[in-house]
Amino acid sequence: MTLTKVSEFVRPRNLTEAFSLLEEKKARIIAGGIDVILFPTPAERLIDITALPLSGIEGGEEGVSIGATTTMTELLESPVLRGYLNGAVCEMLRQVASPLQRNLATVGGSLMIGHPWSDLITLFLVIGADVTYFDGEEHEVPIDRFYAENIHRRRVILTGINFPAVRRGTAAAFIKFSRTAFDIALLNCAALVETADGRCTAARIAVGGTPRRAKLLVRAAAELAGKPLSEEVVVQAARAAQDEAEVGDDIRASADYRRELVGVGVYRVLSRIRERLEGSA
Amino acid sequence: MKIAVKINDVQREFSITPGETLLELLRREGYKGVKKGCETGDCGACAVLLDGRAVNSCLVLAAKVDGHTVVTVEGLEKNGELAPLQEAFLDTGAVQCGYCTPGMLIAATDLLAHNPDPSEEEIKEAISGNLCRCTGYVKQVEAIKLAVQRMRGGEDA
Repeated sequence: MTLTKVSEFVRPRNLTEAFSLLEEKKARIIAGGIDVILFPTPAERLIDITALPLSGIEGGEEGVSIGATTTMTELLESPVLRGYLNGAVCEMLRQVASPLQRNLATVGGSLMIGHPWSDLITLFLVIGADVTYFDGEEHEVPIDRFYAENIHRRRVILTGINFPAVRRGTAAAFIKFSRTAFDIALLNCAALVETADGRCTAARIAVGGTPRRAKLLVRAAAELAGKPLSEEVVVQAARAAQDEAEVGDDIRASADYRRELVGVGVYRVLSRIRERLEGSA
Repeated sequence: MKIAVKINDVQREFSITPGETLLELLRREGYKGVKKGCETGDCGACAVLLDGRAVNSCLVLAAKVDGHTVVTVEGLEKNGELAPLQEAFLDTGAVQCGYCTPGMLIAATDLLAHNPDPSEEEIKEAISGNLCRCTGYVKQVEAIKLAVQRMRGGEDA
């Protein structure tokens, strides 16, 4: 449907120009543009940043840098991401929306909008990703701080996302519960576990679409510290996650149902990580 | 505002309003093979190729395609001959009411351009953003498999 409020569509030549256009009046950055159409705002000026050099994927096991306007399809088809963290990013993206939408949707657009059901945010939290953004100067902040401080609601241009290097003995997994293949998540879960000599040296667990935006479950992750990733430990961590997660009701699912899903989801992602660690050992 | 777009191999110029969608522009300009369904990106009936990738044209602002390349279902045939995918859809009975067909063909064209030998799972995934209320999807999956076989030279399959 036509966005009747929009009176101007501009393609800036560089970030500085894009940012100054953003400051002047009711303006909104547009990349893939899905949310600009599905969730219209009173914006009168749309600033298309897809012509700027903000697209691309670089790196490997030593860390990955992704430009903000890289599409989800480009991420899914990237050999770099297939080789990073046992392909966990691709595992997640295959469950996001439909291929038609993934051909449009950009990683930056998805993070900047920050829907509470976002599958990307849940996984990127456990990866320990950093978000880069521009507000006249460049900034880089951990993704949990990016949302905790509501930076995505400020007048900023998200420029990219960086994943850290992966140590040996590390694996991650993601799971999404939804009614149909590309429906919005009823709940999603992700975990990353680092091990040395068969014991967990670091772990992060996150659940999203609770129905609020994903958060790290610190106490549940602490259940794993120093222990081997046994069936018993996985069950304990899943129980701790159920206690810790803040879940609520909305149109998609009840709080009770979501609490059950937290337990099942965390159990499954940790079990999958266990298989992956055993498979790579 | 004015935009220049290459549509179905023809370079064209259009006057548009900055807030209108590619779907609205295409149908106004006579590309009626692009179907208006849900207008929320759920049904896939409006799919077109944008720079070779299948997208929901209802989720693309017309202004965004300035300087880019669009292919609609009208552009799949070459020199009056249907593309192998189109032939296979007809031969398999994958076209019933026909409303989803253009979008399915566009999604399948994207798939085969990037993955010439897809598995059944990959075919199903590729058309997962295209709703069909007639067939139950069996015929479209068969049609895409048939097109793959024919394009690899196994005409009788």
